[in-house]
Amino acid sequence: MSRILASYNIKGGVGKTSTVVNLAYLAARQGARTLLWDLDPQGASTFLLRIKPKVRGGGGKLVAGRTEIGDLIRGADLEGLDLLPADFSYRRMELALDATKKPQRRLGRLLAPLAEEYDYIFLDCPPGVSLVSESVFAAADSLLVPLIPAALSMRTFPQLERVAAGGPQVLAFFSMVDGRKRMHREVMEAMGREHTDLLATVIPAASEIERMGLHRSPVAEFAPRGRAALAYQALWHEVQERCDGRPPGGRRR
Amino acid sequence: MTQYLLPEGLGLDAALDRLAGRWALGVGPVEVIERTFYDTFDGRLHRAGLALIGAGGRLVAARGPGYHEVAAAPVIPGERLFAPELPDGSLRRLLEPIVEIRALGPIICTRGQVRGLRVLNRDAKTVVRLVLETASSGEEVVLRSRLRVIGVRGYDRALARVERALAEDLGFAPSPVALHDDALRAAGRAPGGVSTKLAVKLAADDPARAGAAVVLVALLRTIELTLPGTVADIDSEFLHDLRVAVRRTRSIQRQLAGVFPAGRLARFRSEFRWLGQVTGPTRDLDVLLLDFARLRAELADDRAAELAPLGDLLGARRELERRRMVAALAGERTGSLLAGWSSFLTLAQAPDGGGADGAPLGAVVGQRIRALYRQMRRAGVTIDEGTPAERLHDLRKQGKELRYLLEIFAGLYPAEAVAPTVKTLKALQETLGQFQDREVQATTLRSLGDDLAQAAGGPAALLALGVVLERVEADSRAARVEFDERFAAYAAPSQRALVRRAFR
Repeated sequence: MSRILASYNIKGGVGKTSTVVNLAYLAARQGARTLLWDLDPQGASTFLLRIKPKVRGGGGKLVAGRTEIGDLIRGADLEGLDLLPADFSYRRMELALDATKKPQRRLGRLLAPLAEEYDYIFLDCPPGVSLVSESVFAAADSLLVPLIPAALSMRTFPQLERVAAGGPQVLAFFSMVDGRKRMHREVMEAMGREHTDLLATVIPAASEIERMGLHRSPVAEFAPRGRAALAYQALWHEVQERCDGRPPGGRRR
Repeated sequence: MTQYLLPEGLGLDAALDRLAGRWALGVGPVEVIERTFYDTFDGRLHRAGLALIGAGGRLVAARGPGYHEVAAAPVIPGERLFAPELPDGSLRRLLEPIVEIRALGPIICTRGQVRGLRVLNRDAKTVVRLVLETASSGEEVVLRSRLRVIGVRGYDRALARVERALAEDLGFAPSPVALHDDALRAAGRAPGGVSTKLAVKLAADDPARAGAAVVLVALLRTIELTLPGTVADIDSEFLHDLRVAVRRTRSIQRQLAGVFPAGRLARFRSEFRWLGQVTGPTRDLDVLLLDFARLRAELADDRAAELAPLGDLLGARRELERRRMVAALAGERTGSLLAGWSSFLTLAQAPDGGGADGAPLGAVVGQRIRALYRQMRRAGVTIDEGTPAERLHDLRKQGKELRYLLEIFAGLYPAEAVAPTVKTLKALQETLGQFQDREVQATTLRSLGDDLAQAAGGPAALLALGVVLERVEADSRAARVEFDERFAAYAAPSQRALVRRAFR
């Protein structure tokens, strides 16, 4: 049974794609059979893995179950890492979901045939609260939630906790952190007091992460000893520790 | 995943140049790779189209000559590995139903260099993986260098293009022979393990003595093949196969006694009986231990834990019996028996080998099949609920003799007669075997009571023993009930007429 980890935040531009691409890469590199589904119509994960953002038949057919999901999967450069690419038609995924019975359960259903094939399935989710995110909450075992230490995060994180309540385990961590900024330090301290279960790992605002777009690969590929690569490694380690003892698919069974 | 042999005389560097001239490549470093290949003695993985490869601290099951990985576990096996000892996961799930109770052991080692290459598209995305490889076998025989082509999911057209170009333009020849099979052949061994199945060609009009000798030579070969594994205690199937070959030998000695010179055969008959006897107790305990593992798996966890002292005791008793058996098998008596029997059979195949060899094989064996069938039918009709267990055991022994004749000499008679006769006999024998195994087990288990009471955790284990005995006895009762139905099918008038008509 695969463990489904969704990179999600209500807010955009917080580092969801960098997180999911790097963690999926690390999972595959340690020998786990790993799939990344790029649900964001912008297709940033798909671009980073050098794969064409194209799904035959479009997102509508896929959501309706009229396309064999396995046929759409593409192998990434790293053996053991596969991608279900983004498609521009995903921008209408909410409508496609709405046209199905029990739309909240739809993504989980689509992924069910892959449960024995993969140890981990990562979802790169578009921002916002919608039927797509509701369906992600129903499918995922855990949400990976990058938080920028800024006032807006302090406001949106409680909202996120409310909408995901009773759903997947929430694994939130600070992302794009600039230790030199006083405001970052203060927000992290304040949020840490309020939310004691935040992950300890902090992802820095490092130039390597920005350069992922130039190299079109995870940071561990082109800067394996850099701050960012080490931080993602620590994050992956901590995520696995937090998942330990929680059987995957517990809520879906 | 396809595998190609490098064109004759082309080294790794030259091969790389040739490939780089054709495609944009991502080139990995040269790595040294040592692999150990594993299989069962009888080559079950080979038959299933799998290779089991130990390299770099991982044990990988791979399919086809290109070694397409299908399951893996972080395991470095020793000289002997049983599938249930693997960590829970895909590799264990894959291997358990294939290798069953057989042990996996190393069959050959290879050592060489590999270089991973990636064929890239315009986005510098990997669309096909290539692995260039040179290797030599453990015996330092250099094997032909090869190139493995591995598809990337979703890039089937790129794969087809690469494969076409390799074969048509670049001079690489596709090869269905896997590296380890090549290495085995280079070491003078046949890939696919050792079969203990009897494969002899016989004709109904062969002289009876020569035909019988051919079968006995093949059985002797099986005994010789399985003896080292039995002595080394690799897995319980060695002893099982050895005992089947001994029983078949004895059966032919008995049933076709008339075709050999009586005086010279007598010594071997008594010596093979001895060989059957010295291997019996260990086999009985093997069967009990195999059933015990199944039984323990069926019990609730706490009850299963209480059975531990019983398991230990059975294991200890089996070890004691095994040592006795090994002393006998490794001793001079066994050596001289097998050497003497081999000479006897060589002589028996000569035209003037003595005995009544005039009659054709088909007629002699057919007469014995009809006689055994008749004897069993007559003995079976008198069996009812009150019949002592020994009579059922005797019937089973006769059944074994009949089954061996039917199986070994099947080719001499019409298949449409052999198949139903074997089928009804097999069903009957299963019931009788179930009954006898359970009787033997109940006796063995009861005999352990005193020792068990003395052991740590004894009282709880004794209670658990009660549960086990109850199950064994219930199985035995069920087998007895089943007997009537199966015997009726075996002795049906149509079956009787068929045997009388066909085995002539």
